[in-house]
Amino acid sequence: MTVKIITDSLSDITSDLAKELGVTVVPLTVLFGHETFLDRVTITTDEFYHRLANDAVWPTSTQPTPAAFVEVYNTLAKETDEILVITLSGKMSGTYQSALGAKNMFKGKCRIEIIDSQQVAMGFGLIVISAARKAQSGAKLDELVDWVKKAMSRSHLVIYFDTLKYLAKGGRIGKAQGLLGAMLSVKPILTVKDGEIAPLTRLRSLSAGLDYLYNFAKGYPDAELMAVEYATTPDEADRLVNRLASVFPRERIFKSAISPVVGVHGGPGAMAVTVLEAEKK
Amino acid sequence: MKQVETINGRELKEMLATATSWLEKSASDIDALNVFPVPDGDTGTNMLLTMRSSVDEANQTADSSAGGVAQAIARGALLGARGNSGVILSQIWRGLAEGLQDKTSFNGADFALAMHQASVTAYKGISNPVEGTILTVVKDAASAGQAQVAKGDANLISVLEAIVSAANESVANTPTLLPVLKDAGVVDAGGQGLYTILEGALRYLRGEAEQMQFRKPLIIASSLPQPTRVLRISPKEEKPFGYCTEFLLKGSGFNQDKIKTKLKKDGESLIVVGDDNATRVHIHTEDPGKIIRYATSLGTVHQVSIRNMDEQHQDYLEMQKDRTPEVDIATIAVVAGEGLADVFTSLGTTAIVSGGQTMNPSTKELLQAVKSVKSDKVILLPNNKNIILTAQQLQSLTDKKVEIVPTETIPQGVAALLAFDYEADFQTNAKLMQEAKSSVRTIEITRAVRGAHLNGLNIKKKQTIGLLDGELLVAGKDPLDILTKMLARLDLANTEIITIYYGADTDPAEAEEVNANIREQYPRLQVEVIQGGQPYYNYIVSIE
Repeated sequence: MTVKIITDSLSDITSDLAKELGVTVVPLTVLFGHETFLDRVTITTDEFYHRLANDAVWPTSTQPTPAAFVEVYNTLAKETDEILVITLSGKMSGTYQSALGAKNMFKGKCRIEIIDSQQVAMGFGLIVISAARKAQSGAKLDELVDWVKKAMSRSHLVIYFDTLKYLAKGGRIGKAQGLLGAMLSVKPILTVKDGEIAPLTRLRSLSAGLDYLYNFAKGYPDAELMAVEYATTPDEADRLVNRLASVFPRERIFKSAISPVVGVHGGPGAMAVTVLEAEKK
Repeated sequence: MKQVETINGRELKEMLATATSWLEKSASDIDALNVFPVPDGDTGTNMLLTMRSSVDEANQTADSSAGGVAQAIARGALLGARGNSGVILSQIWRGLAEGLQDKTSFNGADFALAMHQASVTAYKGISNPVEGTILTVVKDAASAGQAQVAKGDANLISVLEAIVSAANESVANTPTLLPVLKDAGVVDAGGQGLYTILEGALRYLRGEAEQMQFRKPLIIASSLPQPTRVLRISPKEEKPFGYCTEFLLKGSGFNQDKIKTKLKKDGESLIVVGDDNATRVHIHTEDPGKIIRYATSLGTVHQVSIRNMDEQHQDYLEMQKDRTPEVDIATIAVVAGEGLADVFTSLGTTAIVSGGQTMNPSTKELLQAVKSVKSDKVILLPNNKNIILTAQQLQSLTDKKVEIVPTETIPQGVAALLAFDYEADFQTNAKLMQEAKSSVRTIEITRAVRGAHLNGLNIKKKQTIGLLDGELLVAGKDPLDILTKMLARLDLANTEIITIYYGADTDPAEAEEVNANIREQYPRLQVEVIQGGQPYYNYIVSIE
C-alpha cells in the first residue's frame, strides 16, 4: 500500500498539487478577533491581505486541533497502513504537538510517523513534494522518514519582507528581533535556522531584494527543486521564476502563495525562495 | 460574529477576575520590563496586587449592579494600590466607576464613555503627567473606544477589541515618546500591564476562559527596540534620586489638591489620589521624614514604603553591565549627532564612539570601545577620512582581531553596516561591508573653514560648499540650491533611494523643502529625510 503523506497548510502546497501528489493538507486557523477562518479553505490570500490592511483587529493564528488530525488519520487509515506527517517547525507553532497528540488518540492499526520539519513555507513544502513522489513510486515509511530527516538539512529558505511593520507587531520572531526598529526603511532578508526565523541581512529596495533571492538560488545549479513564493505580488514571482528559468529547469520550479499565517508577520509584498539541494551521491 | 450587548455586575466581577489571572501570568515578565528610574521596581507585581485588592473588594460587595461593583473595584484598588503604576491603575478604575455610576448593566457605548472618564481621572491624579507611560495607553485606548462607537458599532466586544488593539499599538509606541524606554529597548511596563488587563477582559467576553489556561499574554515588542544594548563612549552626569516614598492615609475630610500643593516642592513624581477618608500618596523625595510627619498630622498612615532609589540605581547599573550582549562579531561606528547615532544603533551596531569631522576620536577612545565590547572580533567603521589612520593603529594595540572597513562618509558607514551578514564569518563580513561601502555615493553640504582656490572654484571662507564623495564640486550661498545643482550633475538612472540626513543647525522645514523638491524632480525615487543632528554639515545625502 502507498504511504499517505499529511502536511499542514504552512507548506504552501496548492490544492491542485496536493491532489496530484495524494497529499492531505490540514489547515491552520487564522483569527480576526473572534472570526475564524481555515487557512486558504475559508479565506483566500487576497481576502486575507485586504483585511490585514483595513481591519482594526490584528489577526492571529492557531494550530489545527488534535481532533482535526485524528479525523484525517481515520480517513486515510481506510486506504493505507502507513502514514507520514510532516509539519512546520515546532518552534513556530504547536501543529507538530497536535499531530503527536492525535497519534495518541488514534485507535486504528495504521503506523504513523510524525516529523517536525524545523522549517516553514516551501522550506518544508518542497520536502513534502519530493517525499510524496517517492511514496507514489513505492517508497515505504521507514525509507521516507530516513530520507526526510536527511533532506531537512538540504532545504534552504530565504525570505524577503517588504516591511518590518508586521514582523514587529506579531511578536513571534525569534532571532529577528535585532532587525526591528530601524530608522531607515529597511527590507530584511530572513531565513529559518534551527526551526526559528533568523536574520540574514538587510537591503534597501525591492529590486535589491529580488536580486538577492535570485543570486541565492542561482548558487545551487544542481538543486533538486526550487520554489518561488509571493504574498501579494504574483507578477514579481513570475518575473523571478523567468529569471531563474534561465539557469535552472523551469519544470522543477514551483510557484506558490505564502500562507496568511506567515503573512501576518510578513505583510504584503513578501517574497521567498527555497532551494532543495539534491542528495549527494 | 459573537455579540455581547451588555454585561451586569456579576459578569463584571467575573471579567475582573479573569483579567487579574491573565495579568498574573505575565506579572514577572512585566517586572522584567522595568527601567530605572521609572519609579517602581516591579510594575507587574504591583499592578497584580492592586488588581487582587479590587477583586477582594468586589467579591465582598452586596451590590449587584454594574455601577456598584465598579465602585467596589475602585475602592479596592485605592486601598490596595502598590507602586506608581498601581496608583494610576486605581485612578483608572475610579474614572471607570464614575462613568458607570448608577448603571445596573452597561453596553459598549457606556464602556467607551467610562474609559474616557478613566483617562481623564488618571491624568488628573498626576502632577506632571509623562507621555509614553500607562497614561498615554489609557488615553489612546479610550479614544479608540469612542471612535468605534462613533462608527455605529457599539457591540461591547467590538468596542473592547478596538480598545485592546489601540492599547497594543500605543504600548509599542511608548519608546518613541519616552527616551529612557528607547535606550533600554523596552516598552513601558505599566502600559503593558494595562494592555494585558484589557486583553484579559476581552478574552472573558469572547468566552475564552478555557483557552486562557494554556496561553500566556503577549509581551508587546517595542516599535523601536534597541537591537543590542549599545555602548556609548561618553560619560553622563549623575544626580541623586532620593527615596521613593508611598503610603495610604486614612482619616476624614481629605482634600487631595491641598495635599498636592503642600507636597509639590518636596519632591518629584508626586501622585495624590483618593477620596474623603482614604488617600494614597506617592513621591520621590530626598526627605521622606518630612513627608511622613506632614501625613501623620492629617490622619493615620498605613502601608508605608520608603525605598532608596540611589541604591536601586546602582543595582540597575550593575545589571545593565551584565546585560551588554555577547556578540560573535562586534561592530563599532564613529558617529557625530544624536540622530545619526540612533540610525547606527537601530541598525545593530554594538558600540558608538562620538566623533567625526574636526573632532576625531583619539586612539585611546577607540581602543576603549574595542576593549569594552564583548567579542574578540571587531569591525570598525571610522566614517571619516581623517579617522581611518587612527583606527588602523588599533590592530597593534589589542589582542582582539580588528578589521577596519575604511568608510569615509556616514552613508558609506550605513551601507556597510546594512550589509552585515548574520550567518557569515568575520573575514567574509569585513569583505561584504567593504564591498557595500562602494555601493553608495555621498553628497555633503557644509561651510568652507577657509578661503581657497580649488577645482577652478574661488571659495571664500564660510561659503557654503558641496562635496561629492569628498571632492569639492560646487560653492555658493544657499544649501538648497547647491544640493539641487549637485543632484543634477549625477546620473540618477540607476538610483533607487535618496536618504537625506539634516544637521543640527538645519531647519527641519528647509529639509522638508529639499525633500519635496527632490520628489518633484525625481518622482521615481524613494526619498527619506532623517534628522541626523550632525554638527558642521547642513546635509549629508546618501544616493544608492
